[in-house]
Amino acid sequence: MTIIEARNVVLSFGETPALRGADLAVAEGELLAIMGPSGSGKSTLLHCLAGILVPDSGEILFEGRRVDQLGETARSSLRRDKFGFVFQFGQLVPELSAQENVALPLLLNGVRRAAAVAEARTWFGRLGLDGLEHRRSGELSGGQAQRVALARGLVARPRVLFTDEPTGALDSLTGEHVMDLLVGSAREQGTTVVLVTHEARVAAYADREVVVRDGKVHSLTAEVIA
Amino acid sequence: MIRFGLRLTLAGGREAAVRLVVIALAVALGVGMLLIALTGLHGVSSQNDRYGWANSADVPGAERGADPLWWQLRVDGFDRRTVGRVDLAVTGPRSPVPPGLPRLPGPGEYYASPELAKLIAATPAAELADRFAGRRLAGTVGPVALPAPDSLVAVVGYTPAELSRRPGVSRVGTIATTAPTRCPNGCWSGIPSSGLQLILSVVAAALIFPLFILIGTATRLAATRREQRFAAMRLVGATPAQVSVVAAVEATVSAVAGTALGFVLFFLVRDTFAAIPFTGAPMFPADLALDPVTFLGVALGVPLVAALAARFALRRVQISPLGVTRRVTPRPPRAWRLIPLTAGLAELAYFVGRRPETTDGQIMAFLPGIFVIMIGLIVAGPWLTMAGARLVARRANRPASLIAARRLADNPRASFRSVSGLVLALFITSVAVGVMGSIAADRHPPGRGPNVASLFTLFRDERVAPVGDPVPAGLSTQPGVRGITVTRIPPQDVPVPEIPLGSYGWPDILASCADLARMPEVPRCAPGARTAWVWPDLAGPDDWTGTWPAADVDPALLPTMRAQSIVTLTDGSTTALETARTTLQLAHPMLYSPYTEVEFGVESAKVFEGWKRLANVVILASLAIAGCSLAVSIAGGLSERKRPFSMLRLTGVSLGTLRGVVALESVTPLLTAAVVALGAGLLAAHLFLTAQMELSLTPPAASFYVIVIAGIAASLAVIASTLPLLRRITGPEAARND
Amino acid sequence: MTVPLTLLGLIEREPRHGYDLKRDYDTYFGRGKPLSFGQVYSTLSRLARDGKVVISDLEPGEGPDRKRYVITDAGASEVETWLREPVAAEPHLQTVLFAKVTLALMLGRDAEAYLDTQRAAHLQRMRELTEIKRSGGPVDALLADHGLFHLEADLRWIDLTVARLDAIAQEVRT
Repeated sequence: MTIIEARNVVLSFGETPALRGADLAVAEGELLAIMGPSGSGKSTLLHCLAGILVPDSGEILFEGRRVDQLGETARSSLRRDKFGFVFQFGQLVPELSAQENVALPLLLNGVRRAAAVAEARTWFGRLGLDGLEHRRSGELSGGQAQRVALARGLVARPRVLFTDEPTGALDSLTGEHVMDLLVGSAREQGTTVVLVTHEARVAAYADREVVVRDGKVHSLTAEVIA
Repeated sequence: MIRFGLRLTLAGGREAAVRLVVIALAVALGVGMLLIALTGLHGVSSQNDRYGWANSADVPGAERGADPLWWQLRVDGFDRRTVGRVDLAVTGPRSPVPPGLPRLPGPGEYYASPELAKLIAATPAAELADRFAGRRLAGTVGPVALPAPDSLVAVVGYTPAELSRRPGVSRVGTIATTAPTRCPNGCWSGIPSSGLQLILSVVAAALIFPLFILIGTATRLAATRREQRFAAMRLVGATPAQVSVVAAVEATVSAVAGTALGFVLFFLVRDTFAAIPFTGAPMFPADLALDPVTFLGVALGVPLVAALAARFALRRVQISPLGVTRRVTPRPPRAWRLIPLTAGLAELAYFVGRRPETTDGQIMAFLPGIFVIMIGLIVAGPWLTMAGARLVARRANRPASLIAARRLADNPRASFRSVSGLVLALFITSVAVGVMGSIAADRHPPGRGPNVASLFTLFRDERVAPVGDPVPAGLSTQPGVRGITVTRIPPQDVPVPEIPLGSYGWPDILASCADLARMPEVPRCAPGARTAWVWPDLAGPDDWTGTWPAADVDPALLPTMRAQSIVTLTDGSTTALETARTTLQLAHPMLYSPYTEVEFGVESAKVFEGWKRLANVVILASLAIAGCSLAVSIAGGLSERKRPFSMLRLTGVSLGTLRGVVALESVTPLLTAAVVALGAGLLAAHLFLTAQMELSLTPPAASFYVIVIAGIAASLAVIASTLPLLRRITGPEAARND
Repeated sequence: MTVPLTLLGLIEREPRHGYDLKRDYDTYFGRGKPLSFGQVYSTLSRLARDGKVVISDLEPGEGPDRKRYVITDAGASEVETWLREPVAAEPHLQTVLFAKVTLALMLGRDAEAYLDTQRAAHLQRMRELTEIKRSGGPVDALLADHGLFHLEADLRWIDLTVARLDAIAQEVRT
């Protein structure tokens, strides 16, 4: 069952075309890796799928409904309720503690502070972050920060987790650890994962991979999951 | 959401705390000034109204009322100060009591203001106390009847029989409570309040603008961090509305802190301000009273405006969830930006020759023009910076100038922002100096100084002017009196020869040559003449050095004619003048006591001094605010430059070149816009003077150039002082990938 | 198994004499280690025996060198199959991959598609190794990582080659 889909998406930044008719279908519950050289448009494709950018033409569908036609507020609330994000860096709010950062999506949804923080704290044990609840993001190591971001991405039980180079700034072992937790937690909750990476070893955690070249999506394996 | 916003605001770390403090201080300054201006606007008119009671006779229908008083207003003078005096006579139990008095003074009594009472006690009777002709001082005139704490006011009691015989008295059955709007016969009053209110409004605006710029600059501190924070929130799914609520909370917190501080500042400064005679006379601190409307309006309005401004500002800048990862070169400013500036100047120019009748009309005519010019300078600034940068880029052959010019041309808005406060300050300075300087030059025509020694008693109402010898007994023998001349009004049957003397036209009053001969320092009669045609004050035009034309009138007939004036020449000492004045006014009680030329000048000089003081305060304050603005934005700009500049340094660009870049980047917009601001300011001053006062712009004095150069030099110094920091900031640690 | 197939591919390109074949192989595929004449001729005989090449008209002259070899349909289809099928994803496959890519370019085949297929096979193997890593113990993880790193190195080469295809094609065809 296709949960999120891109159809003939075209997007240019000024004069520079980033996507030239990209097509992609992601099945529910699968882990999909989007690979490609830098500048190929893979991050742009992810941003379009997640409702962060609106394509110049083409369609983005989530659970069958058009995302690209929604207004900024509707797309924001989609990101809040249905999606989670783990990016390479710069995603935690510097002024908040780790547990408040994790609780942020719930707070934005109107959940009361006490309840949100309590829910957030359950993730700290799961991801091996015990004792770091009150640290600021500046006081966390790279791996700890990514795990906090992972907790934040999953705390609202999203349907899809979007992640872009999650281990890019980490060393091999730490990155492996993060990927383990990411895949494990996502599988547990049945969350679909869309993973953008240029590293094959990271893509190897996924069930399936596609390559973005020159703004188009190429499937390498001949299988098509219906 | 609001509590969340509060949490974020108060937890931001050092950079954010500095930002909050600077904004709060700037808001405090602004609120303080706003409160002074608002209460001052009110205070000016309530001060003015305290002249009202003395001019009750001029109000149409004043004589209606039970038991109307016999009433005469007399404007007296003592030692270059004005004394407001009312002679009155009670006619019945229901005669109205002027404000400030416990009761009406009886025939042998008078009331004096505290300052006047002190003077009377300290001065020889012949100079002052005798004017009250042996009356008993019954008490003090209360503050409610005094325009200024140090006003000289007296209310003197007479019998109805005495007063009714005097020429020029009126009946007053109702005491007025507001300032006189028209004075057909002359009154005792201050400056028309609406003119002052115009000045105060312009002053408030002139100071509020640079403050807004300071606040705007401070708001941009720590911008990158805030952008990152907002981007993270947006990524996680915060709607733009939620983000702007957080920003609004931030703005409101500093605004509330600043407003509270501003009120404190206002109360601290109020008494000092009230004592400064901006209107020519100091105000009571109570005049700058904070009424509930103003209090609530400012206390609630300022934070509200701050919150709205933050919401509005964020709406224009769509915070993308992707933050600052992709920086697109903004579009260059276009030439249309010059339009508001030219429109403002054109608006002022339009009113040359079309001066509105009422002061309110004038306010409507000139305020918008000045505001539009100020806005126009801010709007045109980036374009001017870009134009200047392109010029420099064309001629740049050193790397520093090339880099600086390119950076400027790339993002002229940011570069101009740091100096925009200074530009406004220079504009305000040149307008203020241009206007005040030209007025000052007009007031003191070079050459003849005022004559301090000659006391002039003028009988304004011909019908009741005395015949015979109006000179009071004993005047000629008073110590210090050097000569007395009486001028006479020629009767109908004596034709006035039309012999123009210099620029005044022809004299039409008669005087005895014998009297004139005994007056030193006065133009002489023609030899052999016995009467002459003169002017009432015996003074001729500057450029005239001749003799009075002879009159074909028998000097023996002169005493039969009504007197026009008595000119009493003294040795100029206070004793002589005041004693003579006392004697003369006792003999001839009239609206205007005998006065010397210099006293009129003193009154308007006091007002002018007040305006000058105000202008100086405005200039200094706006320059100071601009300096703070510049410092804040340079500090902010330094941290923005950290990364790109450390990269440049790593690749081998020398520190000297980098310093050159910073210097050029800051200096080019400063000088370009400064030149335009000064030009616009002087032009605006010229248009204002031409239209409002029919004067033309006098080239400013050297002190103006000194101030301008000092201001620019100080800014250059601030810029230069940050250059040594460049070494530390762009050290290798700044280039780390963190 | 590479040498016979490589020679076969070269013959498919155009019928060649044995000596020319050796020279071509040494130029493109030898990399400092030239083929011996003996190896060349014995490989060619075996290919002829298996029906993948035939000897065309003999030139007048001495020795096996004077024979010209032409590819048969069987031979051509074997080359095709070899090119098309991915190699079992094992590390240290550069030599084989290199040969395949270069030949594909020489023969004007769709090298990019071959590379993509190879890529998919690599990734599949990497997936298997990753699963082993996640579910196995530390020693298994060690071995799996070793394989993963090398496979990654191959993939990097594949990516780079794909990016460079146009330039390489130019050079190889002249």
